[in-house]
Amino acid sequence: MDTKLLDILVCPLCKSPLVYRKAEQELVCKADKLAFRIRDGIPVMLADEARKMTAEEVDQLR
Amino acid sequence: MDEFEIDKREVRRAFSRAAANYDAAAVLQREVCSRMLEKLDIIRLQPLRLLDVGSGTGWGTRQLGERYPQAEIVALDIAIGMLQAARGTSSWWQKLFSGGRQRFVCADVEALPVAAQSLEMVWSNLALQWCNDLPATFVELQRVLKVDGLLMFSTFGPDTLKELRTAFSGVDGYSHLNRFADMHDIGDMMVAAGFADPVMEMETITLTYDDVKAVMQDLRSIGAHNATAGRAQGMMGRAKWARVLRNYETLRRDGRLPATFEVIYGHAWKVQPKQARDGRTIVQTDFRL
Repeated sequence: MDTKLLDILVCPLCKSPLVYRKAEQELVCKADKLAFRIRDGIPVMLADEARKMTAEEVDQLR
Repeated sequence: MDEFEIDKREVRRAFSRAAANYDAAAVLQREVCSRMLEKLDIIRLQPLRLLDVGSGTGWGTRQLGERYPQAEIVALDIAIGMLQAARGTSSWWQKLFSGGRQRFVCADVEALPVAAQSLEMVWSNLALQWCNDLPATFVELQRVLKVDGLLMFSTFGPDTLKELRTAFSGVDGYSHLNRFADMHDIGDMMVAAGFADPVMEMETITLTYDDVKAVMQDLRSIGAHNATAGRAQGMMGRAKWARVLRNYETLRRDGRLPATFEVIYGHAWKVQPKQARDGRTIVQTDFRL
């Protein structure tokens, strides 16, 4: 995904910054424990399509 | 001649001969987009970053790219299929010369995944009619704009598909309320959201159709189906439905059925927020001690 886009992308729910997991092609909101998929280079920033993460999984990102 | 010119001519021709063979969504999108672009002519703003909300297949996004060759353009749509199509239709030379300036995000305008104060311009052509909470949507659009940034949009007004509502009236007790907001109400919503002096305009565009079925087919694609037929059709008996069709048929002129679209255009600038950091509202008065 284009890194320039990362500059302005935030969580659609809480508007906090996202963690870009390049290998997984995901953008993670730690606060909401949601992983937004990047499909084919296009980030899918829809909460109901996002993958729910466990607290442990989020902690590992630190 | 590039592909856009051809498209534009086709659209205008389609309008002048009443767009029988086109779906209203595409015809309206392009026609209204062209009229919005004309409005940009008088606006002196060179956005560095702009957002196209509800970019659809990307026709409008590409027009904006031509107009603002320096700008980084983010195309946002709720349907990823639309974005993939939009990316696919950019020709190799457009990709080459745009230097990858077009970016694609799948998202809902009512929950924008965009940082506050990150854009000089937000553009939205016939997309806001899909919103469930329009006042909140304007707050979102205001949030992502920089101070002195511009919001320019079009949406549908309450007179849209008035023929269909007429056809429904008296057929059942169910009130087929229109969910499209009035131009003045939209202006008030924008002011409440922190936009200065919105400029609102309205025009009606009438398309004609062969039959009611063709009108219905177009409803879904423009976001009007909730307001009228889509919901009612399922709840309605065959006899009542036949009456709706008969009622609509009385409007037939020169062998064709009219369907009116009230298009609302609006633009406004984001002003300096009138709230202090702690959320208190700053009230300026002429009063002096």
